[in-house]
Amino acid sequence: MLEIKNLHVRIAEEDAEILKGIDLTIPKGEVHAIMGPNGSGKSTLGYVIAGKEDYEITEGDVLWNGESILEMAPDERAIAGIFLAFQYPVEIPGVATMTFLRTAINAVRKARGEAELSVADFMRMVREKAKALNVSQEMLKRPLNVGFSGGEKKRMEILQMSMMDPSLCVMDETDSGLDIDAVRIVSEGVNALRGPDRALLVITHYQRLLNYIVPDKVHVLSDGKIVKTGGKELALELEEQGYAEFIAERAA
Amino acid sequence: MNVHVMKTEAEETLGAQFEKLAARLPGTDWLAEERVKAISEFATTGLPNRRVEEWKYTDLRNRFTRAFEPSDGRHVGASWQAIEVALGGLVSFESARVVFVDGAFAPELSNSDDVGDGIEIVALGEALGAPPDWLKQTLGKVNVPSKADATVTLNTAFMTDGVAVRVGDGARGSKPLLIVNVATGEAERSITTRNVVVLGDRSQLTVVEAHLTLDSAATQSNTVTELLVGDDANITHIKMQGENLASQHLGTWMIRLGAHATYRALQVTTGGALTRNQLYLKFAGEGATAHINGAFLQRHKQHCDTTMLVDHAVPGCTSRELFKAVIDDEARGVFQGKIVVQPQAQKTDGKQMSQALLLSQTAEFDAKPELEIFADDVVCGHGATSGQIDEDMLFYLRARGVPEELAKSLLIQAFVGEALDIVEDEGIREALTKVTEHWLARTD
Ligand SMILES: Nc1ncnc2c1ncn2[C@@H]1O[C@H](COP(=O)(O)OP(=O)(O)OP(=O)(O)O)[C@@H](O)[C@H]1O
Ligand SMILES: [Mg+2]
Repeated sequence: MLEIKNLHVRIAEEDAEILKGIDLTIPKGEVHAIMGPNGSGKSTLGYVIAGKEDYEITEGDVLWNGESILEMAPDERAIAGIFLAFQYPVEIPGVATMTFLRTAINAVRKARGEAELSVADFMRMVREKAKALNVSQEMLKRPLNVGFSGGEKKRMEILQMSMMDPSLCVMDETDSGLDIDAVRIVSEGVNALRGPDRALLVITHYQRLLNYIVPDKVHVLSDGKIVKTGGKELALELEEQGYAEFIAERAA
Repeated sequence: MNVHVMKTEAEETLGAQFEKLAARLPGTDWLAEERVKAISEFATTGLPNRRVEEWKYTDLRNRFTRAFEPSDGRHVGASWQAIEVALGGLVSFESARVVFVDGAFAPELSNSDDVGDGIEIVALGEALGAPPDWLKQTLGKVNVPSKADATVTLNTAFMTDGVAVRVGDGARGSKPLLIVNVATGEAERSITTRNVVVLGDRSQLTVVEAHLTLDSAATQSNTVTELLVGDDANITHIKMQGENLASQHLGTWMIRLGAHATYRALQVTTGGALTRNQLYLKFAGEGATAHINGAFLQRHKQHCDTTMLVDHAVPGCTSRELFKAVIDDEARGVFQGKIVVQPQAQKTDGKQMSQALLLSQTAEFDAKPELEIFADDVVCGHGATSGQIDEDMLFYLRARGVPEELAKSLLIQAFVGEALDIVEDEGIREALTKVTEHWLARTD
């Protein structure tokens, strides 16, 4: 279970608060969606969960499986099962995609006390998952994310997610940049990960994704706060009415 | 020039050492005069200090406080196993090899019979006694810097041995030629070697020079390689400097390229308290290409200086340089690269880039790129960057479970790898990758 309690976050060395008291609980087995205007703090929330260091947590806590993760390094969080699919995956020239995948998977397996994958098993696993997500062999041969199109980068994120076997998946606008077929393919990949042992947090701007990945709850994040929570129908409402209601509230 | 300058202790010693040794240095009859000329030239210039522009960041007079006793070349048998260990990853590719221990040819450790048809290899120490014509015509004459350079003059005065290679017209190396220079024992000493490599027209060869110490004693090595490349010839030229952290290394490459020749070079430096790598390259025939890359990885108080001069003396040549410096602790890296385009060298295409990755607050990198262009129809450029490990890349890798140290070393490997990519031979490239891996894994 992911528990976020009264989380206040600001950028280190800057005054402005970005997250202004977030409370959010996602039990295992559930999928929650977060929607909200640009700049409302969605990616910040994802980064704070994954352990990016640019942020200062001034108040509150984030617990995963009952334990605070705020003091944990990003790699320790990955080992604890936390996975963030980035809104903007980072290009890393000179690091071969396959080398990266194998290093990451084996680092996590080793730390979890599992045996490292043999080259043959690893290759089999990549081939199988890559095929399901329509990731070409040619992409796998390139340096990590370098020169990948927007949609290719997102598919690479989901490939990594499905290979690393996380128990908390945070997906930051994974659907942005995907073509219509890719949204369906990626959603199938994500749905395959749904299960009683996993919690999923899906950040998106589009209701369309939630037709494929049907959420248990939808939250609206505006100006660093969760201003509304509802069922999957809330996404449809937002699609029709936009965020005016919440932004007006903020202005008032 | 002021001839009344006070001589330093090291300068005095070098003069005295020469007096004592001169009669015993190889090539007495025909080379003696050259050697005397060199040492008297040195007597006027002395060791360069930081007021000499080319030595701005490396004050040799200041750093070279004592001149060690020249090695007499008598060594107590180094074993190939010990050399293999010192070579680290570098032994993993198949090669013909010529080994020098403490500055003297070690035939028992060498095997260059199968380097290829039409390729002649001799040890310079022996050959200087009765030099073949091609050696006599080449030695000391390949693109020698116009301004007296103390490292080269000292090398001429004191050189004892080295490799002389002649690749006949159209001949091709069947495997790379590995030239290993090792210092052994626990006594401080200086080692002076000279290599002469002559490539005929349309010939091809890969030369790998390795400089190592087997023990912990401080060594002063001075090595010069003269490389004369014929028309349409193709050469890959690699150097690995992995001497211990007490040693001082002065290396100079003097290169002259014929028309349509292809030159690919890489210098990897992990060792040395002080390393100075000088590279003088002259385009002497049209349409030639030179790619010169370097990677230096330095920590503690190591100091590594690469200074080069690429001289476009004829039209239509292409030069590319890419130097990558990884600097930790209080180490310092220097890159001075000058591209000269002579008035007649139209259609020159010259680009140069140096990049440093600073791993600590106290690491330092000085870059001085220079372009001197006297022709109007040219494309030339240079750049220098210096920065830390990219935090976003580091976070991305760590968010995937890769521990911090491993993530950093992946990123450093990637950074250096770009320079290593110039080596086409996969075996050698992998071997050099291992050299950098060893450096990264080292904790001493
Ligand atoms: N490193 C940073 N430095 C300065 N400001 C930042 C930084 N990171 C985030 N912000 C600011 O914090 C606010 C929230 O940004 P965040 O990226 O979390 O928004 P978002 O909800 O993900 O927006 P989008 O829908 O456009 O992806 C924005 O105003 C942004 O400019
Ligand atoms: Mg965002």
